[in-house]
Amino acid sequence: MSGPLLEIKNLHVSVEEKAILKGISLTIEKGQVHALMGPNGSGKSTLSHVLMGHPKYQVTKGQILYKGEDITGLKTDARARAGIFLAFQYPTAIPGVSVANFLRTAMKARFGEGYQPKEFRKQLTATMATLEIPEDFATRAVNDGFSGGEKKRHEILQMSLLKPELAVLDETDSGLDIDALRTVAEGINRMRGPALGVLLITHYQRILNYIQPDVVHVFINGRIIESGGKELALELERKGYAPYEEKTQGERQEVPHEAGH
Amino acid sequence: MEEVLKRLGPESSSRLLRLRREGWEKFNSLPWPLKTDEEWRRTDPDSFRWEPAGFDPKEALQVSFETPAPEWIRSGVIVTDLSTALRQFPDLMEKHLFRTGRPLGLAKHVSLHEALWRQGVFVFVPDGVKIPTPLRVRISESAGALAFFPHVVIVMGRRSEATLIDERIGAAGGGNPAFSDEMVEISVGEEGTLRYIHLQQWGENISEIYTQRTEIARDASFLNIHAALGAKATKAQIETILQEKGAQADLLGVLFGSDSQHFDFHTVQDHRSGQTRSDLLYKSALKDSSKAVYTGLIRIEKQAQKSDAYQANRNLLLSDGASADSVPMLEILADDVRCTHGVAVGPVDQDQIYYLNSRGLAPAEAEHLIVEGFFEQILQRIPAEELRERLMSELKRRLNGA
Repeated sequence: MSGPLLEIKNLHVSVEEKAILKGISLTIEKGQVHALMGPNGSGKSTLSHVLMGHPKYQVTKGQILYKGEDITGLKTDARARAGIFLAFQYPTAIPGVSVANFLRTAMKARFGEGYQPKEFRKQLTATMATLEIPEDFATRAVNDGFSGGEKKRHEILQMSLLKPELAVLDETDSGLDIDALRTVAEGINRMRGPALGVLLITHYQRILNYIQPDVVHVFINGRIIESGGKELALELERKGYAPYEEKTQGERQEVPHEAGH
Repeated sequence: MEEVLKRLGPESSSRLLRLRREGWEKFNSLPWPLKTDEEWRRTDPDSFRWEPAGFDPKEALQVSFETPAPEWIRSGVIVTDLSTALRQFPDLMEKHLFRTGRPLGLAKHVSLHEALWRQGVFVFVPDGVKIPTPLRVRISESAGALAFFPHVVIVMGRRSEATLIDERIGAAGGGNPAFSDEMVEISVGEEGTLRYIHLQQWGENISEIYTQRTEIARDASFLNIHAALGAKATKAQIETILQEKGAQADLLGVLFGSDSQHFDFHTVQDHRSGQTRSDLLYKSALKDSSKAVYTGLIRIEKQAQKSDAYQANRNLLLSDGASADSVPMLEILADDVRCTHGVAVGPVDQDQIYYLNSRGLAPAEAEHLIVEGFFEQILQRIPAEELRERLMSELKRRLNGA
């Protein structure tokens, strides 16, 4: 297979009839890290869940191509097994299900015949160690009573074990202190390589000090307003989102004007 | 019928014979319950209507048990079937059989049980004897049985300790429609500890009336795990009486329903003395068009100050046709107590399903894992690994629709 890993073409998405994404086009090549930066409420999380196939969101227009195939209608679990991974901003608690049991089940689902039960424990212990996760973590119930930092580490632990080809990280940096941020960022960097594409969704430039993006997108009000190199992130840090938001408001004002003709 | 009652015996005890006759008279004097009776508003009483005409008191059940190790027998531990107990330990039977008092409700069926009981189990742990490994008993339905009246008596002496695993098993291949009318009597002596795990796996040919009454003495503790997986319909009443200061009870229920199974559980946490504690959690997962009814009463009597009572009932509906009713009731006469209760009825959380889907689990697989987790909180408290695993694999099998 050749061509891009992910190709989003003019994607429009609504929730309960309300338009959230208004024509997104984005191409991620294998091996690339793209940062998608935007203010709260801009629709960043919506994009992450649409890529994962959340049933609540309706794609009203456009396409998502993954490894050249249209996955717009594909169910969440099939996308996951095909190698798409979403690190949740707010991971869901599953009471009574231990982390070890959960991960084992997920690995079986992801790798099917290729899952090696004998290797699992070893892999789990080793990966937990690199993420500085204590051993008893494996016996705790999934995300149940986890601190913010534990939840994020757990997401990266899953990502490490499930070895996705496309990872979408939804505000993985939020709510982390500087040490936790470094550990999590190192975890992500360890996975970087020619086989992995990353879409890193964030509000702040902070995490980009640890993870160097290849491309940065400014995302406001359901649209990508500007794309550029990593210097764009620094510019955002200096100027804030306000100048970009003014730009989209200008666009919005034109709409009724045009409609009036 | 007089002939039948006489044959049921026991000839050795005039008290027990008299109780049997009285039960029979009460049974005859009471009408069958009606749908309009408060107790039967949510469960069809006709499912539990059984006419004794032509009743043949042959062996309808097989009672089996693991004989305790010789050291425990030497210490006076008894685990045996009721007929043997009546023959070998008439004094103990006189002292303990039908001594925990009549269950509060289900009068017609309780009377019927009192008239026709015969087979069952007797477990006795003398003062000061602590048994580290679980005791096991099992009552199985014999093929072709129509009605049976199991009776279980568990007596824990002062400062004794034991775990009892007590199972009900249906006849192989299902069998014809049958009626079970069971009574369990438990007493836990001062500072004693009993862990009683009741695993009901009757076939879906059986309609079951089940009453359990436990008296807990000073500073004694009682852990009850009641797992109801089988039977076509169950009407159960589980009464726990915290008789004396310092008595404690942890009451856990696991119900799994499929097809058109119907469970109706009534629990009573009766705090009669101060500084007693009870903690109840009943959980049900319901498939197809199965239904669970739960009514739970916490009663704290006037003199039972500084009591602590908790009651929770959670129901997971796994299909649109499944349903659950949950009714907590409080009767608090003391003013210095802690008492809380909570109820939840609802389908599996879609956010949980989505999260697991996002890790590659198909929707059905995701649901299974969530249900396992739902029960894990209770199953992890079963003090026998082998049983815990067996119960979990049985739940998995049922979830998979086998």
